[in-house]
Formats: sequence, structure tokens, C-alpha cells
Amino acid sequence: MSAAGTSAPRSIRRELVGWLALGLFTAVVIGAVATYLRAREEANALFDYQLTQLAASVTGMPLATGTGPGSLPGNDALVVEIWNRNGVEIYLSQPQRRLPQTAERGFRTVTNDSGEWRVLTTLAGDQVVQVAQPMNVRRELAASMALRTILPLIAIVPFLAVLLWFGIARGLRPLDRLASAVGQRSPRTLEPLPESGLPREVQPLVHALNGLLARLATAQGAQRAFIADAAHELRTPLTAVHLQVQLAERATTEAERRAALGELRSGLDRANHLVGQLLTLAREEPGVIDRPLARVDLAALAREVVADAAAQAAARGIDLGITGAPAGGDASEAAAALVTGDAVSLRTLLSNLVDNALRYTPAGGRIDIGSAGDNGATLLSVRDSGSGIAAAEHARVFDRFYRAPDAAGVPGSGLGLAIVKSIADRHGATVALGPGIPGAAGPGLGVTVRFPAAAEPRSPG
Amino acid sequence: MRLLLAEDDRMIGAGVERGLQQDGFTVDWVQDGEAALLALQENVHDVLLLDLGLPRRAGLDVLATMRRRGDRRPVLILTARDAVVDRVAGLDAGADDYLVKPFELDELAARVRALARRGAGRADPVVTYGALELRSATREVRFHGEPVALSAREFALLEALLERPGAILSRAQLEEKIYGWNEEIESNAVEVHLHGLRRKLATDAIRNVRGVGWMMVKPA
Repeated sequence: MSAAGTSAPRSIRRELVGWLALGLFTAVVIGAVATYLRAREEANALFDYQLTQLAASVTGMPLATGTGPGSLPGNDALVVEIWNRNGVEIYLSQPQRRLPQTAERGFRTVTNDSGEWRVLTTLAGDQVVQVAQPMNVRRELAASMALRTILPLIAIVPFLAVLLWFGIARGLRPLDRLASAVGQRSPRTLEPLPESGLPREVQPLVHALNGLLARLATAQGAQRAFIADAAHELRTPLTAVHLQVQLAERATTEAERRAALGELRSGLDRANHLVGQLLTLAREEPGVIDRPLARVDLAALAREVVADAAAQAAARGIDLGITGAPAGGDASEAAAALVTGDAVSLRTLLSNLVDNALRYTPAGGRIDIGSAGDNGATLLSVRDSGSGIAAAEHARVFDRFYRAPDAAGVPGSGLGLAIVKSIADRHGATVALGPGIPGAAGPGLGVTVRFPAAAEPRSPG
Repeated sequence: MRLLLAEDDRMIGAGVERGLQQDGFTVDWVQDGEAALLALQENVHDVLLLDLGLPRRAGLDVLATMRRRGDRRPVLILTARDAVVDRVAGLDAGADDYLVKPFELDELAARVRALARRGAGRADPVVTYGALELRSATREVRFHGEPVALSAREFALLEALLERPGAILSRAQLEEKIYGWNEEIESNAVEVHLHGLRRKLATDAIRNVRGVGWMMVKPA
């Protein structure tokens, strides 16, 4: 994987290690502070007790001022001062360090020019004994205790970071394996990736990936089948043409040659029609052409398509026309039946339906085209008096290249209804097959395309 | 020689029928699988030309059904499906030959003749009977080395009789060999054509077995 642009890609590993190290460091700092506070508390209690003991022990001792620290238990940081009831100094352990004399008894913390002091004043007989100790002694002790507790933890942090670095790499190894498994795929191998033995975090990704692969395989299979079918279907009219060319070459009489050439021409027409339908189908694939959507009046479209097909219908002796409303429609709305859609595609849809009806309706038959509103929906229908389609075939006639067995005698590409379905799908419309014109000679076929009320065509792509 | 052509495409069917008729075959054409199976039961055709994409009954299904019935007549598959797997599937289903569309009519006719020959248990394309030589490929007949001009029907009759010398063929059997479904059979047609044959070949090898039919006497 390479970084896109100039910024390096985010690394899960680096990020995890960073955050974990930060967390660890914070925990160590909090631990150090807590240990320090706790140690100071304990040191206070300990030294206060020591001061009490000292005060008790010096009471009544024969001491002379300035005798020096050596004569006293404790160290030089301790200051002992004794007065008599009249405030006359009896003893000063360190005359150069005088503490303020107070009448209050008990512990106090005072500050003078040599720092903070903890002072204990007691009354013993007619003497006032005052012992004091600098506070920084206690702080130093607490700090050193805290440091001793915390130092090993701090030493562990880098070790833990290294451990995390490799642990995370190990944990992410399935991703590397997955990446190489995906990387080795060619566009042709679409088998699912193995889902077993994957960590729970990666499984949804692989599962989704497999879903995509399956859909791709289906689409690719459909595409391949379509191309194979298309090639096969193209080969049929080409075979016919090829045969007619051979017959024309063999022909010994003018009549034979003319007959063969006539067949040749209709074979070419057929191949042309098939290629045209294939191109239409390819163009109607979603996302191929991005034409602007417009308000299309189906009634006007019907009139145009009927006008185009009128000559062909007349030549075949078929009565082609527009009726007021399709079954279930409201005749008063027949005047304009507006839908939002792609005008070119909708025209293709309708002309395919009319073309189909013309193919399967015998001479003397009838074809009705109608458009109407129905509860907000818009209906477009083409009904004929032709041979109809057996109900059992209804589901399959929309398949590409599928031709009902009864249709064998009628030339056609087998793509007309597939094109209709494709365009209807794109417009969110449904196509329903039903009975043809009631009371006509044949069973007939009625195709109704229903554009729902709020039908917004799917955006291309 | 009478062939059954099963092809659903009208244009191709008509073209093949026309071309094979020009080559001297009698052709019956059906457009779906069920009709093909029905026609096969008449037992009058020598070779079946089978398209695979037939409506109602798929070609391979027709083939499997006829083989299950014990029908051993040669079958030539005509199809646009040219992948090796398709050919293998066709041949494995019991077909004798496979021709991919589009094909040359001459090649089709040659393959049909080859199939018919093998179906009759022969490998030699020239049928020899005493001083008589018959070449199906060129529809040529020689008697004592001299070419003899025969009409299409006379040739078909002679071919049918020579298929198994010594076997007696009834009038109906002979009619079936030389007339397709849609052809009108003139009364006495078989006698008329046999008479023509006897005259042109100056031979008494074609014998009438009274009340039964006709046969070629087995050469001594």
C-alpha cells in the first residue's frame, strides 16, 4: 500500500502504541503523585510523633544554652527551646536559629527566614518546651519514597511499548494475509476469501468483501452468458444468410437465383434488426447514457408511435389506434398522462411494444394503445388481438433471447420485452402481462406499464 | 436417401432443405423437438439432422430419447454452439457428427453421405454390384464402366435397393425412400421408375417378388 498524495497513511499500529504508551505514562504520573502525597502524610505523622517524644524527653533535663546539638537526641535539624514560666530562656539548642515564642500549646507550622518549620509547644511543670523541625525534611523523605516506588514502573514503560509494538503487529498479521490474498486475485478469480481463522474485528470486512465478490461473480457470469447468447443469436441469421448465398451460387435458373437473393435480403434485415436491438439493450443498461429527465406526455408519445407504425400496420391489414383509457384507468385523464423520464427511452419502450403486437397479430386484427392516470399512477397499455402468450410463459418472456415456443414461426430477436423491462425498471415502473382486446378473434396480449405516483426514475449509475 | 431435419429457425430450415434437395436427398423438416420424436417413430429416415436449440424439446433431449428407444440411426448435430464442451456434450449424448453453423452445404451433404454409409455398414463410397457402380457423392452411376444418366428418383430407388442386396423392399418402403411428406406420390410411380431403371441398365437384377416387393438379386 502506498500513501496517496503527500500525507503518510495512518498506521493503526503506531496509533495504538502511541495511545497505550500515553495511557501508561499518565498512570505512572498519577501513581507517583498519589504515592508522594500518601508518603508525606505518613512522614508527617511519624515526625510529629518524634517531636512529641523529643519534647517529653527534654523536659527536666539539666541543659545549658549553647551546649550544642551533640547533647541532644536527634540531628542538627532539630531546634529545642526551653523557657521558664516568666519567659526567661533556660535553654536554646541553636541560639542562631530562634523561633518565635508562643503561648499556644500543640503543633503549629510557622515560616521564618530559614523556611517552614513544624513547631510543638508543650508545658511541663513551670517550663515551656518548644521543639521544632524544618518541613523540607519531611518533603524530601516523601519524595524519595515516592520515587523509589515509581522508578521501576517508569523503567517498564519502554519495555511495554516494545512489547505492544510487536504484539499489535502480530494481531494485525491476518490483515497482511488478507491483503496479499486480495492482491493475488486476478479479475477472473472471484471465489470468496477464506473466512475461517480470522479475528472477529476483520471478519465483517472479509464477509462484506465476499458479498461483493459474489455479486461481481454473478454480474460477470450474466455478462458472459449474455455475450455468448448474443453471439449465438447473431450466428443464426448469419447462418441463414450464408445458406442463401450458397443457394444463390448454385442456382441454375433466374427464378431460383431471385428467390435465393430475396431470402438473402430478408436474412440481412433480420441480422440488422437483431444488431439494432442489441445496441438498444446495451444503451438502456443503467448508467450507460445520462440523458436529462423531462416531463413526458405518454399520450403524445403514443400518438407519435402510432403515426410511425401506421403504414406498417396498414400494409399488414391491422387496425392500429389509440383508445380512451386502459383497463382501470380514468378516461378523463387520457388527454395528458405525464411522467418524469427519459423521453428517448420511453419512446423505445412503446415502439417495442407496438412492434411486438404487430408481429404477433394476424391480418384483420386490432391493436389498441392507451394511456391514463390511475390513483396518481400513470398507465401505458398496448393490447392486441394476436396469439397471446401462455400464462406459463409470462415470467420468462422478459428474459433476454427467450422466445416462447409458439413464437417459433415469427421472426424476432427475443429482446423486445427485455428492452421494455429494462427501460421500465429504470423508471421505477412495472410491466404486467394480461389479456388482450376482449371479444377479439385471438386470445391477444395486453401489456400494461405502470408508472407509480411518486415515481422518481433511478438516477443513472 | 431420406433425411429428417429438426431446425426451429425458418430461414435456416428452408435453406438447408432446399440445398439438400438439390443434392438429391429427400428431406422432411420439423420445427420442434416433439415433432422430431414423432417423425422418428415413422422409421423412414436414414439420418437425423438435429439443431440443439429446439422449442418444446431440446435437441439433446430428443437425442437421448431416441437412443433410449434403441434407435441407432445416425444423428448429425447442427448448431451455433461451437465450444468444445458443447461438442463433447453432443457427441457423448449419442450424436455421430457435429457441424457448427454457419456451414457449407457441400460439406453437410458429404457428412450426411458418410453417416449413411457407415449406418449401412460400408466404408467404401462407391457401391459396386456386378458391373454396376454407384457413387452417391457425385450421383454417378456406371454400368460396365459407361456412365448412365438417371433421373433423381431413379437414382434414389437404385440407391435404396443397393443398400442391402437380397432384401425385399415393399412398394410403401420404396415410396418412403424417394418421396418426402409434402410430395405428391403419383400412382404406379415406383413401377414407372423401376421400369426406367431396368431399361437404362439393361439388367434383370431388379426382381419383382409378386405380392411382396422388389429386390436386387445378390450377385453370385
